[in-house]
Amino acid sequence: MKLLTHNMLTSHVKGVTKGYPLLIKATEVKVNEVEFNPQFVSRMIPKLEWGALVHAAEELGHRQDLPGELVQDFEKNEDFLKKVHRVLLEVEVIEGCLQCPESGREFPISKGIPNMLLNEDEV
Amino acid sequence: MDEPGSGGSVVRYYCTAGNGMEAFLINEVKTKLAAEDVCQIPGKVLFSSSAKINRVSNLKGAERLFLLLKQDSPVSLSAHTSTAKAASVLQSRLLGDKNQWTSAVMTWSRLQGELTGRKNTVKTSSPALGVTRKREDEMRGSDEQSREGEKSLVEFRTSTGGERKEETDKQRSGGQNGVSTMAQKRKRDDEEEKERKVAGWDTGIEKTVEKGKACEEERTREEEAEGMLVEFIDCTHGADVNGGGPVCDHTASRLEHRGASSSKKMDDIAKDFTEESQENVKTTGEKNKTLLTTCEDKPELLTCIPVSFRISCKCSGSLSRCLGAQEVSRVIGAGLSRLLGWKADLKNPQLEINVNLSDDYCLLGIPLTRLPLANRSYIKITGLRSTTAWAMASLAHIQPGFRVVDPMCGVGTILIEAAQEHKDACFLGVDIDEAQLQKASENIAFAELENRINLLKASSLVLPVPSATVDAVICDLPFGRKFGSRIDMAANLPLILTEMERVLRPGGILVLLLSPQLSCLLKKLLIQYDTGPKSNPETKPQTGIQNCPSSSGSPSKKQTFQIHSGVKSTPSQETKLQHSLPFTVSSLKHQATFRVSLGAIDGLIHKYVKKDCCVFRDVMF
Repeated sequence: MKLLTHNMLTSHVKGVTKGYPLLIKATEVKVNEVEFNPQFVSRMIPKLEWGALVHAAEELGHRQDLPGELVQDFEKNEDFLKKVHRVLLEVEVIEGCLQCPESGREFPISKGIPNMLLNEDEV
Repeated sequence: MDEPGSGGSVVRYYCTAGNGMEAFLINEVKTKLAAEDVCQIPGKVLFSSSAKINRVSNLKGAERLFLLLKQDSPVSLSAHTSTAKAASVLQSRLLGDKNQWTSAVMTWSRLQGELTGRKNTVKTSSPALGVTRKREDEMRGSDEQSREGEKSLVEFRTSTGGERKEETDKQRSGGQNGVSTMAQKRKRDDEEEKERKVAGWDTGIEKTVEKGKACEEERTREEEAEGMLVEFIDCTHGADVNGGGPVCDHTASRLEHRGASSSKKMDDIAKDFTEESQENVKTTGEKNKTLLTTCEDKPELLTCIPVSFRISCKCSGSLSRCLGAQEVSRVIGAGLSRLLGWKADLKNPQLEINVNLSDDYCLLGIPLTRLPLANRSYIKITGLRSTTAWAMASLAHIQPGFRVVDPMCGVGTILIEAAQEHKDACFLGVDIDEAQLQKASENIAFAELENRINLLKASSLVLPVPSATVDAVICDLPFGRKFGSRIDMAANLPLILTEMERVLRPGGILVLLLSPQLSCLLKKLLIQYDTGPKSNPETKPQTGIQNCPSSSGSPSKKQTFQIHSGVKSTPSQETKLQHSLPFTVSSLKHQATFRVSLGAIDGLIHKYVKKDCCVFRDVMF
């Protein structure tokens, strides 16, 4: 699971009103080198929950020095885009789990694929 | 960098396409290849393009790609025509023009060279050279006085000697019938390259034979030619594109002439050339001069190399009652052998000729690729038909930065097709089945798209994604042929749709592939919603349907109702639908429906756009 995916994941357990962002409990994290595509990164940034991304990166020890608030004119800041690129696409949780911040329900991550399936009684 | 016009001459192609895919393919050839004269017959799309063959062979919506050899009005025979008569009609209709065959084979050979050149870099020197020299010749040709130019050609021909030239020509065309070994041929080819360079076409020939140097010069020549290419395109682009038809004809006639003239005496040739060049100046001017020069390259191929061929024939309609496909193949094959001296070879032919004869059309073509274009080299485990998956993705109008979700991704075919075309978007595949996700994961790794396609195990009924965050949802709803038997798709459709609509942002696009049954059901659901608030909640769907046409008389709407009345769902299904109807708000606006063949059955692709405001009362179909 890349943090790009994590950024749009939310828990829909019955009764939960704010299942976002999910906490990451990683047991295996991999960093893959991925070709840098500045257009893609700068197009994605406005769609991200910035705070959730920075928090997730921090949890995994890959925050680097990303600011808590999104910087201005990031499109032209290649250095900044590269850092975001790394956090979004290169850092990947292979094993571990995601936890709903409200209900505490844990969703396992196996072979990089999060299992967000709920039991019938949770829907 | 790859402008459609940069491929050079205009070539007419046709592609086969699955039923219902024609419209997608037409759109694709127009946008990707700047194709002209695009037309369709059922299952096929014909077009002309000057785009490079590598781009043409990268079409996604097509099944197979052919070079068009001949398109004619259908061969119609009365029911009482004898077999012998039918055969002679066929031969005179289909074989008539020798030039058409020879020029088509020449074009085919050139395109083959360019195609294999792409796959195997070691081999590129040969086809690339052919093209390069041609361009250079064309440039040169246009610089010279036509008459002088043509005369010098004749001089060149005589001084180099026919035999040697023949061999080099053979090599260029990929023929393997030459007597000498490849190495020898190459050497000679190089020498000749050198000669041409030195001679510059305008004086006599000086023979300098130094292999190493010749190679070196070839390289420089290529570079030079590249530089000139820009110029060349500038000055001839218009003529190139517009003059597709005439150019071909001209080439053909020239070829025949050259072939026939090989036995003529020098004087005759010279005379003919003079006449021709004058004619050229009169008729089409500079462009044709260049063609004449070009043709000089390969005349002997056509008369001296026996092409081995095989006929593949599809026959239907009135003709098939007189002659079967096999007989048609035999008749045409025999005729071709007689006309052109080509040899039939069923096992391993150089050339395959596809003949399609029906009451509606008559189409002859040569396949350009061994495998169908629809066989994707980047897909390991096949799921949905690749062309259908591509067509669905094309409807989503994916833009840079888009988030695209497939809530029932299966082995990921749709996402892979979409990601191949859209490098700046990100894709999320969701499936409930672990085994499917594993296959999807393998497929994504095989296609090297791990960076942009991510996977998630979840139910399409409860997507773990916040509302209004997705730009496009594309989904092949499993309808029970391979998968989907475990969940009742018909019963769950309203919930699935509600969930898709929830995650879409306003303006987001939904593309669905449905079975005919699910398609009707979905239309009904949305109409039910649309009319629901107006009428009594207890009103049965049928009543609602009967009321509707009076309020809106649009033809499309009527059509929808016809379909509905034709397919009546069982009462139990209806009650279930009414109970589970979660459509308190539906903002999905129907945009289009396409019927495509999925092989054994048809599928329907629906496209919707999520409207900005939550409640709207537009006509939905």
